Amino acid sequence: MAAPVRAALMITCLGDMFFPEVGVAMVRLLRGLGVEVQFPEGQTCCGMPLFNSGYHHDAALVAARTVRLFERAEHVVVPSGSCAWMVKTEYPGLLKHDPALRAAAESLARRTRELSQFLVEVLGVSRVDSPFEGKVTYHDSCHLLRGLGESASPRALLRGVPGVELVELPGADQCCGFGGSFSVRLPEVSSAILDRKLANVEATGARCLVACDAGCLMQMGGGLTRRGSAVKAVHLAEVLAGEVSR
Amino acid sequence: MSEGLLQTPFPERAGAALKDTFLQEALTIATTKFIDLRKESFAGFPAGEALRDRARAIKEATLQHLDVHLERLADNVERLGGTVHWAATGEEAREIVLRLARDRGVRMAVKSKSMATEEIDLNEALEHAGITPVETDLGEYIIQLAHEKPSHIIAPAIHKTKGQVAELFSRELGGRFEADPEVLTAVARRVLREKFLQADLGITGANFAVADTGTVVLVTNEGNGRMVTSLPRIHVALMGIEKVIPSMSDLVVFLAILARSATGQKLSSYTTLVRGPRRAGELEGPEEFHLILLDNGRARQIASTLREALYCLRCGACLNVCPVYRQIGGHAYGYTYPGPIGILLTAMLKGNESVRELAHASSLCGACKDVCPVRIDIPRMLVELREHLDREKIASWTERMVFRVFRRLLLSPAAFRFSARAGRWLQRPFVRAGRLRGLPLVFGNWTRTRDLPPVAARTFREQWKELR
Amino acid sequence: MAARAEFLERIRREVAKTPGLFGASPAPRPAAPAAAAEAIRRELAERWPEALERFRQEFERVAGVFHRAPDLDAVPEVIGSIARERGVRSLVTWDPAVLGFDAAPRLAALGCSVVAARAGAEDEASRLRHRADAAGAQLGVTGADFVLAETGTLILLSGTGRPRSTSLLPDVHVAVFGRDRLLESLEQVGVMLEDLHVDPDRTMSGAMITFITGPSRTADIELTLTRGVHGPKEVHAVFVEVP
Repeated sequence: MAAPVRAALMITCLGDMFFPEVGVAMVRLLRGLGVEVQFPEGQTCCGMPLFNSGYHHDAALVAARTVRLFERAEHVVVPSGSCAWMVKTEYPGLLKHDPALRAAAESLARRTRELSQFLVEVLGVSRVDSPFEGKVTYHDSCHLLRGLGESASPRALLRGVPGVELVELPGADQCCGFGGSFSVRLPEVSSAILDRKLANVEATGARCLVACDAGCLMQMGGGLTRRGSAVKAVHLAEVLAGEVSR
Repeated sequence: MSEGLLQTPFPERAGAALKDTFLQEALTIATTKFIDLRKESFAGFPAGEALRDRARAIKEATLQHLDVHLERLADNVERLGGTVHWAATGEEAREIVLRLARDRGVRMAVKSKSMATEEIDLNEALEHAGITPVETDLGEYIIQLAHEKPSHIIAPAIHKTKGQVAELFSRELGGRFEADPEVLTAVARRVLREKFLQADLGITGANFAVADTGTVVLVTNEGNGRMVTSLPRIHVALMGIEKVIPSMSDLVVFLAILARSATGQKLSSYTTLVRGPRRAGELEGPEEFHLILLDNGRARQIASTLREALYCLRCGACLNVCPVYRQIGGHAYGYTYPGPIGILLTAMLKGNESVRELAHASSLCGACKDVCPVRIDIPRMLVELREHLDREKIASWTERMVFRVFRRLLLSPAAFRFSARAGRWLQRPFVRAGRLRGLPLVFGNWTRTRDLPPVAARTFREQWKELR
Repeated sequence: MAARAEFLERIRREVAKTPGLFGASPAPRPAAPAAAAEAIRRELAERWPEALERFRQEFERVAGVFHRAPDLDAVPEVIGSIARERGVRSLVTWDPAVLGFDAAPRLAALGCSVVAARAGAEDEASRLRHRADAAGAQLGVTGADFVLAETGTLILLSGTGRPRSTSLLPDVHVAVFGRDRLLESLEQVGVMLEDLHVDPDRTMSGAMITFITGPSRTADIELTLTRGVHGPKEVHAVFVEVP
């Protein structure tokens, strides 16, 4: 019998504070698949908000902390495409002036995956026995799609749930308008972009909108509830763990 | 660019564009059409991806020896009997054109579409000097009559309805024309044909200039590029220094992907290769050919973080996919070049201060980089621009303070945990039916149009104790 | 020249500051363009039927009208029928010596006037007269120096006896070509252009090369496609079977 896969969870700042249920769903899901889940407790955030607004020195400090925290993890799993992207593509560059940290960042980059990538690439999952039933549609988060080149795994996993009917979202690859601080610097533009996205979502007739990024879920979920929509924005982990209520 | 427009802050300009229902519809239709045309064109073109890589490499290689290629280009143009002018600034370029026009007794000049001439405000300068510039690209002609600026790099009048164009033509040209694109095109054909035949001077830009042969290349669809370079007795081409390429072998690589990226065509209707003034045995063609090489802030970027922006082919593909451009259109950006590449070009030409707001007019989604024929990494350069704005302290003091506090929280787990507890306490007055609404300050920017989930009653790390 | 030296020096200084973003080279060039061009001609001498069929498809895709003529003598008849159908009364053509046929007799019999560009008449008066003729003509007849199958494109060199306006000012443009003009790809066009420019004074008598892919067009008004903005509204290509 092979040694169990050990994975450290990088919960992300938004996940920890606003979507802990996603973290809980992930833990249940991963344990159900035989993964030993760890949680390095000093973690806070990947630093992307600092990085995107141009505060690179500060982002490098956060990166250095994170790299050390996850040094001993065999695998690192992230419920967010943008945070996984940050760690995998930007950390080595941010830490390039310190050879030891840079090497550690490159190692972390190799060991880090967004959730759907971890499930498919490391665990070889194609079918999940989730009790979830219903029509869903999937939104491609920009950093997962373009930053990490991932659009197939989330869809494959959704189709692998027996009760799921996956309807393709028109303009799935179009931005939801979150963009981090963009959402509050240019709120009207951000909301106009969101409206376009939600019109497409509602046209699918899906009962759930699935995404792999907390930022997108905050933006789209916030828009859906504000307009009193029957569509619920959920994270992939919640569908796979069968933890979507209603 | 109209300075009056720039006095309103960018968020207001964007807001006005969002309320313009015709503009919103026009933008959706036009950008969707361009996106589909481009996608279809590349879907049927498997060689396209490798050609994009090659095109990018050619641009990079050319920059690595830019002075050598420009010198070669100039020598060849002069050997063909053309004259080369060296304009370090937009003002110098304007002076060169004005001096030339005055010396040669030019009264009317016909222009083929050129963003470079917009960049240096050439038309205004010509008009002040008593010389009439006539735009002949249909979209440019329309906005010239309307006294407006272009709102898209390749479809300048995208923001106008056919009704508006009919009204405009009727008013400015005398007559009553139907709001039918065929009818209006025929009117423009007739009116501008006369101008082509009478003009003393033809002004163009240049999509490329081949150093090895001294050839200036124009990529057009209407035929005005051909008219302007064959009928008037003088041809002046204004060209940014980054447009030079080494050889004809390089040219065909770009031709293979440029029109596809811009409009989904395999090739545009006309590609015109101009080698100097007319030759001895030709019945037609200009007596004089002038090439003005324009720096205007470009050289300074060769060793800067904006270097890659010099690869730009001005195809407009990034505008069409940009979620921000698609919502607000070109005018709201406030400068000659709009959209994702426009922000970088504006920083290049006018300095970082000019984009203190525009640098944030992006959700960093990366769609632009995806479609750029030469794979310019626009999001990376936007983030770097933001970094410069921070370093040069161009960002506001409040913003910098907010991010300083934010950094403290992220570097200390204890502070982070505390902020969750503080958030739970502070948010209490604003929780309605499990959602946050009506938040104050900058958070109100969110809750005006969207709900926010409240800080969870128990964060994940607080629940981990039971989960482990 | 102070401006030139200073200008280039500034660029040189900037270029010297950085190795660039990545190792890169321009496109490879044929070491022996003449030989490479000849090799292409030999290949096309075998493959011309496929290239012609591909050209016809692409040409029609961009709204070109394709015709065949059994030989050069039959070409004026084809032009005549186009002229009749379009109600054309006056034509301009390239020099018959360049075209390989004289359309004037046949078209005159149909009641059309034909003005052919003649080499050796490049004084100011001739220029003005030619411009007036071209501006007043409804149909222009040219040859084609290269015909590109990949994109349905006609490539014309300007020069003595081959004015630019013939394919530009009239409403209808007719280009006549034989199998020896066919090329398959843009890449081959690149080789031909390299070859032409090795000794351009010998190979080209004019200063302009024009690629024509369908009629003049625009979609500047509400993205509605219209043809014949400034250039021709129609483009015809006549393939001559027997060279």
